[in-house]
Amino acid sequence: METILEIRNLKKKYGQNEVLKGIDLDVKKGEVVTIIGSSGSGKSTLLRCVNHLEKPDSGEIIYRGENVLKSGYNLSKYRAHLGMVFQQFNLFNNMNVLENCITGQTTVLKRGREEAKKIALENLTKVGMEKYIDAKPTQLSGGQKQRVAIARALSMDPDVMLFDEPTSALDPEMVGEVLKTIKGLAHTGLTMIIVTHEMAFAKDVSDRVIFMDQGVIAEEDTPQEIFMNPKEERTREFLSRILKTEV
Amino acid sequence: MLLMVLMLVAPVTVATASEVTDDTKTFRVGMEAGYAPFNWTQNSDKNGAVAIDGDKSYAGGYDVEIAKRIADKLGRKLVIVKTEWDGLQPALQSGKIDAIIAGMSPTAERKEQVDFSDVYYESDLVMVTRKDGDYGKAKSIADFKGAKITGQLNTFHYSVIDQIKGVKKQEAMDNFPAMRVALQSGVIDGYVTERPEGVTAESVDKKLEMIEFTKENGFQTNPEDTAIAIGLPKGSTEVGKINEILAGISKQERLDIMDEAIKNQPASEETKTESSIVRILKQNGTLFLRGTGMTMFLAIAGTFLGAIVGLLVGVYRTIPLAETKGKRFFQKLFGWILNIYIEVFRGTPMIVQSAVMYYGIALLFGVDLNRTAAALFIVSINTGAYMSEIVRGGIFAVDKGQFEAAQAIGMTHSQTMRKVVIPQVLRNILPATGNEFVINIKDTSVLSIISVTELFFQGKSAAGANYMFFQTYFIICVIYFVLTFTVTRILRLVEKKLDGPDNYTPIENNDSVSVEGSH
Repeated sequence: METILEIRNLKKKYGQNEVLKGIDLDVKKGEVVTIIGSSGSGKSTLLRCVNHLEKPDSGEIIYRGENVLKSGYNLSKYRAHLGMVFQQFNLFNNMNVLENCITGQTTVLKRGREEAKKIALENLTKVGMEKYIDAKPTQLSGGQKQRVAIARALSMDPDVMLFDEPTSALDPEMVGEVLKTIKGLAHTGLTMIIVTHEMAFAKDVSDRVIFMDQGVIAEEDTPQEIFMNPKEERTREFLSRILKTEV
Repeated sequence: MLLMVLMLVAPVTVATASEVTDDTKTFRVGMEAGYAPFNWTQNSDKNGAVAIDGDKSYAGGYDVEIAKRIADKLGRKLVIVKTEWDGLQPALQSGKIDAIIAGMSPTAERKEQVDFSDVYYESDLVMVTRKDGDYGKAKSIADFKGAKITGQLNTFHYSVIDQIKGVKKQEAMDNFPAMRVALQSGVIDGYVTERPEGVTAESVDKKLEMIEFTKENGFQTNPEDTAIAIGLPKGSTEVGKINEILAGISKQERLDIMDEAIKNQPASEETKTESSIVRILKQNGTLFLRGTGMTMFLAIAGTFLGAIVGLLVGVYRTIPLAETKGKRFFQKLFGWILNIYIEVFRGTPMIVQSAVMYYGIALLFGVDLNRTAAALFIVSINTGAYMSEIVRGGIFAVDKGQFEAAQAIGMTHSQTMRKVVIPQVLRNILPATGNEFVINIKDTSVLSIISVTELFFQGKSAAGANYMFFQTYFIICVIYFVLTFTVTRILRLVEKKLDGPDNYTPIENNDSVSVEGSH
């Protein structure tokens, strides 16, 4: 399968604190990769570096054969090919649900309004939010907002979807509806990188699981291997700790 | 900043500035039009009153009659420019007016800045006091020992008070109506004035008494102080000609003109049948309406333009630093200039800014700014300074996540600003903008210093003519309140409307969705 993203020796420091200590990661087309690890392991930073919301200190991110970190690279264009879903939803509060999904298409992709509207409606239907197109973000619950945020990202026809702890800010009863929506997407062949604390979900949805610890990838493997038969001591420790609290 | 530095060297340029606006066809005369019987404002041209420039009211009085005779003999058209007392000299120096005929005495101090004609009226200094007060029977200035006495700011009336032994000299006051009210209410025991004004005060308010002094018992004055003359630009070539014309007006004619003026002044009109409020409204109703219109125009346009300035500045300050060093330098430099702009305009009173800008620009560049345009400029730029801080807060209130979400979609900084941030900023700053609007309705009153005919200015000149200080300002006060109260209510409604309901009812019929998607 074709490799869509290649990350080479990516490093990021905040002051004295080295958050990413040289990450190497390939993501293939259609692959669903989940990143797990304890808080502060660098998994969110890695995701944010991938679409350049954080500026990496060194390393390479190769997308379609080009290093996006070299100076002069058109970042706006690159970002338009990556869909990002945030922990805090980050819907545009001044727009209704439909406009949230249209505006990026018309301003960045220069699509016509009618076409953009059609695509937006398709994606809102996909996430089950088609009945709320006129609602303002303030009128929605957290789970509804996150589903709209997913539809907004999908409307840009991204090559890769990035999910940054998409259910961490949700009330427990709303986690299910969002995970179900993401799971539905995984089956459509969309490439996804998901940072999550939901182990059952990670096990269920991933082609590959990355375990990060202290700024490095400590272990990566199929979900079966990682969860049933972890090779590394720190993976085992993490899993036993997190699975205990989950039960 | 540059303007301020240049202001320091301004006196050098004074002499040249006077020629700039000189239009030989007209004779532009500055006066307060609020110092009866010398000059006052009325709303018709009866008794030979002359239209006031840029306003629909008329000026009458002794000064106007003299001005008419001079303009006539000069063969030029008389234009009356209503100007605040303190604004007269700057206006003359900057060429906005050709002459001051405003009951002004040619003091040595003024002579440094202004050339004066021969005397066209001479009067004695008198004291106005309460008839039944402690000083009602005074015969000499010495009798005012221990009395609280004041006089008009920047006049010799005020400085001669020192000649009274043991007097309690009060702060100088801005205008005569204010002094009369102070006297009536007992704040002061008397004020020094000239005979015509004293006669008027006595005739308007029976409780007041004008005390005249004999030469020995009165104030020792310099003849040039008690006389009044026409002020002309320094180095004016017209002094001789005007003196000739003045010489042609006999002493008897002057007395007649003054008697006529005292008789005709608005304050001496019949007052018995109707209440003073009704009378003020009848006399000045249209004047007040026009003033209200001007005030609202300045407040609305000033707030609107100020909000645009504030938005531009506020958004400029969010632009990320440029990549190249050169660009970054200019970006920082311009940001620095903006900071100075904000600090200067927030850190100085608008009344001072108005005077500095309006007269400063005229002095330095010889540009005679349209007063309304100047006022609008000052209000806008002042509001802009405040608004840019409000906008900064408004941008800050949009959570960082929305900026990131817009970036993640691939929007550039300007797209993010236009589509996502500014619409929300507009909503965020609405209450503060409404507040600025209300403040502007009230604060435009300080523009009276550059004689903008807004509501307060109209009230001031009405009070100056009718001497009903309290009643006139009470009416003005009510008008201001009605304006601000209405505006506040309307803004509340707009806010409510914008925010919409808290809940959303999902569309029940799925068909309507597909229909909407298809057209």
